[in-house]
Amino acid sequence: MLKRIYDWIDERLGVTPIWRDIADHEVPAHVNPATKMSAFIYCFGGLTFLIIVTQILSGMFLAMYYVPDIHNAYSSVKYITDQVLLGKIARGMHFWGASLVLIMMFLHMLRVFFTGAYKAPRELNWVVGVLIFAVMLFFGFTGYLLPWDQKAYWATSVGAQIADSVPFIGGSIKALLIGGNALGAMTLTRFFAIHVFFLPAALLILLALHFVMIRKQGIAGPM
Amino acid sequence: MSADNSRERIPGVPRFKRDKTLPLGTEPFFPNFLLKEWIMGAVVLAGFIIWVIYNPVDLTPRANPDDSNFIPVPDWYFLFLYQLLKYFPGSVEVVGTVAVPLVSFLALLLVPWLDIKKNRRPGKRLATLSMVVAVVFMIWLTREAQVAYHMELAANPQALAELTAGASKDTGGSGGSSGKAAAGALVNTNDPGAKIFGQTCAGCHGADLKGAVGPKLLGIGKKFDEAKLEAIIKKGFPPNMPAGGTLTDPNQIKQVAHWLSQQKQ
Repeated sequence: MLKRIYDWIDERLGVTPIWRDIADHEVPAHVNPATKMSAFIYCFGGLTFLIIVTQILSGMFLAMYYVPDIHNAYSSVKYITDQVLLGKIARGMHFWGASLVLIMMFLHMLRVFFTGAYKAPRELNWVVGVLIFAVMLFFGFTGYLLPWDQKAYWATSVGAQIADSVPFIGGSIKALLIGGNALGAMTLTRFFAIHVFFLPAALLILLALHFVMIRKQGIAGPM
Repeated sequence: MSADNSRERIPGVPRFKRDKTLPLGTEPFFPNFLLKEWIMGAVVLAGFIIWVIYNPVDLTPRANPDDSNFIPVPDWYFLFLYQLLKYFPGSVEVVGTVAVPLVSFLALLLVPWLDIKKNRRPGKRLATLSMVVAVVFMIWLTREAQVAYHMELAANPQALAELTAGASKDTGGSGGSSGKAAAGALVNTNDPGAKIFGQTCAGCHGADLKGAVGPKLLGIGKKFDEAKLEAIIKKGFPPNMPAGGTLTDPNQIKQVAHWLSQQKQ
């Protein structure tokens, strides 16, 4: 019965070639932890992706309650933490997940670096990976402000000062970043938009490139 | 990535029949390899959830642009950058804010073109050494930043009080410095040691000994005698308490130790 349903859908949509490209390939022995225990270091990339997925999900749930304006942002985060069912967990996951993504990604990068997996023909995938890393740091920087508490405000004002110190274009970068001369209402909506629209879009595109390249080139062979 | 039509398909599913001549240890991505990743993921996820449950996230008081008492500190993963800036004051600021980070980022981005030899063994590449040095340097910078932050907090009891007042009461950012009510368990608050403690150590351990950044010290006299307490203060307490705390005068340390040794309730 299931087979008939599958065939019926496959005839119309051609799922098989897509599925083959995504999932039906052999994974070499040197990344199989069953053959060599130390091969577990190859799972850091997958774990990073898993935590990114939890970040997206918890962020979506936080967005159901969060209000990005300076009068309500703080209270809405407080409301999520204290009142919403499992809100404390959702916020906790999003907060700690930010650190965990960076830790996993850092470990993944170190693995790739130390095994020299960025060498030809995989240079472009390394470049995309470093860009993902940059996007993640920017996620951290913009997400930090959203609760609109003291910590957020002052850490961001330091960030704005740093941007301001760039020669020639510093003032423009700062204005672009915080939406004016001083940290305020404009900054919060701007950071929110960057955090939930611009950066996720960039991240998803980069991740797609990352994964397509892994499938095209395969995992780097044993050393 | 192209579909290989020479291989035979398993009927009813999109998968190919496996090639039995593949080397030992080679396995299909789906479901074998993915299952292993999934198990690892499940373990990490379970650990993550437990961590989240036991480490709830607090809010500091609401943002208040007029409050200059707050000591800004970025998240831990920016600390090394933040610390780096401190070494380039004034006119060379640009080196710390732009030059060093930009060069490091470009170097990281261009690694495949900086390390172009074929050899991939970590022991045979200069890149390995440079990365180890960079990582150690980053960890060291992060630690320096943390110690500096705790010293700053200790020197500024008001900022500390604000931080620890936290979101338990929404103070609107202005009334956050209200101290906690003194606990009844404090002994002999007229002792000269108590006064010194209040001016220096209280920044971390709380004026009522209930602890803040540092651990709580209520009833510390039951655990250590005067001599031992004096030794602890003199040596400091890793990782956060520097030698002597914020005290330098051995006489004052003696007085504080004497007073702390009386806290037996």
